[in-house]
Amino acid sequence: MSATTLIETVRNRSVKTSPDAPPKAVAPSPVAKAFGIIALVIATLYFLVPVFWLFVASTKNNRDLVSTFGFWFAEWNLAENYQSLMAWTQGLFWQWVGNSIFYSVTAGVVGTLFAVMAGYAIAKFAFPGKKIAVGVIMAGLLMPVALLTVPLYIEFHALGLVDTVWAIIIPSAVSPFGVFLGMVYAQSSVPTELLEAARIDGAGEARIFFTIVLRLLGPAMVTIFLFIFVATWNNFLLPLLMVSSPELKPVTLGLFGMVSYFNPDKGAVMLGALLGVIPLIILFFSLQRYWRSGLAAGAVKG
Amino acid sequence: MVRSAAVAAAAAISVFGLAACSTDAGTSGGNGEPVEITYLHRLPDGEGMTPVSEIVDRWNEENPDIQVNATKFDGAASDMILKLETDLKAGNGPCLAQLGYAEVPQMYVKGLVEDVADEAAKYSDDFSAGAYSLMTVGDAVVGLPQDTGPLVYFYNATEFEKLGLAVPETIEQLASEAATSAAAGKYIAAFTPDEAQYWLSAQAAAAGDEWFTTSGDEWKVDTEGEGSQAVAALWQGLVDNKQVVVTERWGEGFPAAINDGSLIGHVGAAWEAGFLLDSLDGTPAEGQWRVAQLPDFGAGQMTGPDGGSGVAVMKGCEHPAEAMEFNAWFNTQIDDLASQGLVVAANGTAETSEKMLRQFGGQDVLAELAAASANLNPDFVYAPGFSSLSKMNETASGVADGSATVADIFATAQTTAVATLEDLGLPVSK
Amino acid sequence: MFSWPPPAPFHEDERSMTMTTPVAARPAAPDPTPSAARRHGGRNRREAVTGWLFMLPFAILFVVVFLIPILVSIQSSLFAQQPSGDGLYGGGELVDTFVGFDNFALAIGSAAFWTGMGRVVLYAAIQIPVMIIAALFLALLLDSFIVRRPGFFRLAFFLPFAIPGIIAAMMWLYLYTPEVSPFMDYLPEGTDLMAPGTVLLSMANMTTWTYTGYNMLIFLAALQAIPRDLYEAARIDGASGWQIATRIKVPLVRGAALLAVLLSIIGTIQLFNEPVIMESANPWMGKDYTPMMLTYNSLLGAVSPSGTGIASAYSLLMAVLAGALAIVYALLQRRKGDVA
Repeated sequence: MSATTLIETVRNRSVKTSPDAPPKAVAPSPVAKAFGIIALVIATLYFLVPVFWLFVASTKNNRDLVSTFGFWFAEWNLAENYQSLMAWTQGLFWQWVGNSIFYSVTAGVVGTLFAVMAGYAIAKFAFPGKKIAVGVIMAGLLMPVALLTVPLYIEFHALGLVDTVWAIIIPSAVSPFGVFLGMVYAQSSVPTELLEAARIDGAGEARIFFTIVLRLLGPAMVTIFLFIFVATWNNFLLPLLMVSSPELKPVTLGLFGMVSYFNPDKGAVMLGALLGVIPLIILFFSLQRYWRSGLAAGAVKG
Repeated sequence: MVRSAAVAAAAAISVFGLAACSTDAGTSGGNGEPVEITYLHRLPDGEGMTPVSEIVDRWNEENPDIQVNATKFDGAASDMILKLETDLKAGNGPCLAQLGYAEVPQMYVKGLVEDVADEAAKYSDDFSAGAYSLMTVGDAVVGLPQDTGPLVYFYNATEFEKLGLAVPETIEQLASEAATSAAAGKYIAAFTPDEAQYWLSAQAAAAGDEWFTTSGDEWKVDTEGEGSQAVAALWQGLVDNKQVVVTERWGEGFPAAINDGSLIGHVGAAWEAGFLLDSLDGTPAEGQWRVAQLPDFGAGQMTGPDGGSGVAVMKGCEHPAEAMEFNAWFNTQIDDLASQGLVVAANGTAETSEKMLRQFGGQDVLAELAAASANLNPDFVYAPGFSSLSKMNETASGVADGSATVADIFATAQTTAVATLEDLGLPVSK
Repeated sequence: MFSWPPPAPFHEDERSMTMTTPVAARPAAPDPTPSAARRHGGRNRREAVTGWLFMLPFAILFVVVFLIPILVSIQSSLFAQQPSGDGLYGGGELVDTFVGFDNFALAIGSAAFWTGMGRVVLYAAIQIPVMIIAALFLALLLDSFIVRRPGFFRLAFFLPFAIPGIIAAMMWLYLYTPEVSPFMDYLPEGTDLMAPGTVLLSMANMTTWTYTGYNMLIFLAALQAIPRDLYEAARIDGASGWQIATRIKVPLVRGAALLAVLLSIIGTIQLFNEPVIMESANPWMGKDYTPMMLTYNSLLGAVSPSGTGIASAYSLLMAVLAGALAIVYALLQRRKGDVA
């Protein structure tokens, strides 16, 4: 089998396999199914009821927040809260949401790619200094990031990057955790034999990585991407120190600015948080297709 | 890429090694070019307020030679200190920055603010003397005051009348009226453990105490003087007899108690007037509240500082004179600053806003608050490291369940303050 | 390029390899050099170069973003900022003074640090197993074809992770505050979810709510690497769904599980957001409730001793302890794996 056909097989498999149709042999028994569904419903309630509370809260004013039943609506105050949100963010709310999307997507894409490359290298190549590299990256995971932000600021100032988009994107794109995830996934879902076969067929390392490995690591990459994306979106201390121009601020800074007032308009803050989550939900759904069962299986089966 | 990393490495290490204090903040200036002043603030800039940027724009238009660039900081006060410290270390500090009064001495010890005593003296007449003294560190003056936080007394006049309560003028009266109203299921004050640090120290100041004095070249700490003892006795009695609401000021219990009408009085800072009653808008209780001077805590018509801040000139500012010129102008824009919810430290009374008139039944709130501002204990100063006295809040939390007494809070203040000064390497007598 | 040796029938190999030594079960084991490499001269060197080339982009950014700041932290842990003079205000300037390991002595001697460390270790012992088992359980459910369209559930479980931490904390504060909580009326009279005995559990619930969904995604991604015909074969051999889950799937996601637990241990040692928000409503917790709070507040000067020196010492100490815990856990797991 040539590398090209291998790649074709991987490609076809990942498209053809219908992820949600259970083969008869692995379909669960009715009893198991019933218990499973009950468990899923309970879990869904646990995770979503507080989100529902957030939604209800975002339609209330401060008085109703403390004086009416939390799980149901009172006087509908959504429009006022939206207005207050806009006023408190100087009308820049949607621009800040846009900034957050830009930072998170860029950091997520670059960070995921770099992390997977590094994780793949650790998992599949023998090179001198590997153990040391793994140890040092581990140390990066162990240090509290908040404490590193201060020296990082001074370093970035020396590089002339403070108050630029790079001051947020570069630090956010470095995820030691992503490297380890990439390593674990590469170990389990990239068969060494497949790489060998491709090499023997004359495929270059870069081609192997971008056409075979990345494809096999789809679910893994989505997982890493979401981690970096959310971490970038929610990071507070980094933009707080790094960015001061209003046109560069991410949306969390705006929300923190509101919360740090003595008597924040809490409904408006929660509305802001919920509106900020919407892009993430859209993103999440658009990434759905990467969660497929049996990708590697298909590839290996050839 | 590799090269820039190496440069960064060298730069970062050398900057730390030297603890560089050279800055290039507020650059340019000189012949013909306008002077640029950067100003970092954490005013709320909220709904219905005159934004800082708008005030600054006005200045910039009128003063082409001194261009000010104001930046809003979005975090808490303590985070802003970290930001300033880091900025200055990197040589990227602003020229002017908002500092809480209690933070001023600490910033001075750290060498992060400039002594601009000569410049400040030109403008001192425009500001309340008590507030001006809070921007003073020994012989140095580091900037100008912006707003003050004298303790005052808020109360629901309608409820007071209904229950036949008098607005307390002394702490004895506060105690007796609390007993009367508690018997009727209402409370004329709240004990708020999460505010203990500033709230109780301000009460001690109102009772005429000074916590930090000097003897020779040493600090003398006395947080358990007569005034503090009187304050402790008052609250201990009220808590023991269940005559006050015990709740966190910034928790949900406090607004809930205001809304359900059980809390009808509050010893609070003047700046609370800006939002204390917001949640009563549109309810029958709207317009029933008033504000009065703090009852006499034993030192006559005196009150103590609970918060407030000033605008200081930061170390390395290249144009301190111009910065101070703007500083003085900005902090005398009393109506604009009042719209930000501040009790302005500059002389003169801002016009009470429509909103306040409505919430306080037409009372000229800002005039009352200005009077309180003038009654600030002028001798009460903070020592470096005052922020570590947040330990008081931890002890205060135990008052609710009886595991600590109010006097214990002041004892905590004493030991913490002394230990902090020692940790800072400053001379303190024991 | 030679096409010798001919491609091995690797799908057969892969199957037997997966069956006998689950790849995922030994994440920490050094990757065996592909046997083919030994047969080819010069191959090692090329492999080394290729490996480093793949490492390089991350490595460069890592040096800038982590390594240099860590080195700076180590350096500043050896210095203390001391007043330059001896007046009331210490001369109005601080100078960095080399103090050797004094900061570490202070940190190690700090009762508040160790009390806080005790709290987070207790917290980790309760919260991490609950969260990891729940996440694994949910991932197995979603991977077992019980629901045809798992997309909704995936999103539902993941959503809490997307809510900014401070908003989530504000929300839980509401839900825990008796005066305003919508559900505390239904709990036994006198229940206090923020008392000294319960606040750790309440915070554990906050963390579990936030992170279970993400950990589930980690497992889900790992489960997808498992060839599905493995299950079919097991089914034919008479294995039940439960047996497939516990005997095949769970061992195969052990690599991911190990990583998730390690990350949780490190994250818990650095527990910060939840206690900070809880402390705002419960001042009895103090500014030093967890080691990370102590560290950050000593950086801000809200606890004494303060300054970058002592804060760096605290954080390095935390890193060392987190590393030690992680290593102990990894070793225990590996031994268990060897026995099994």
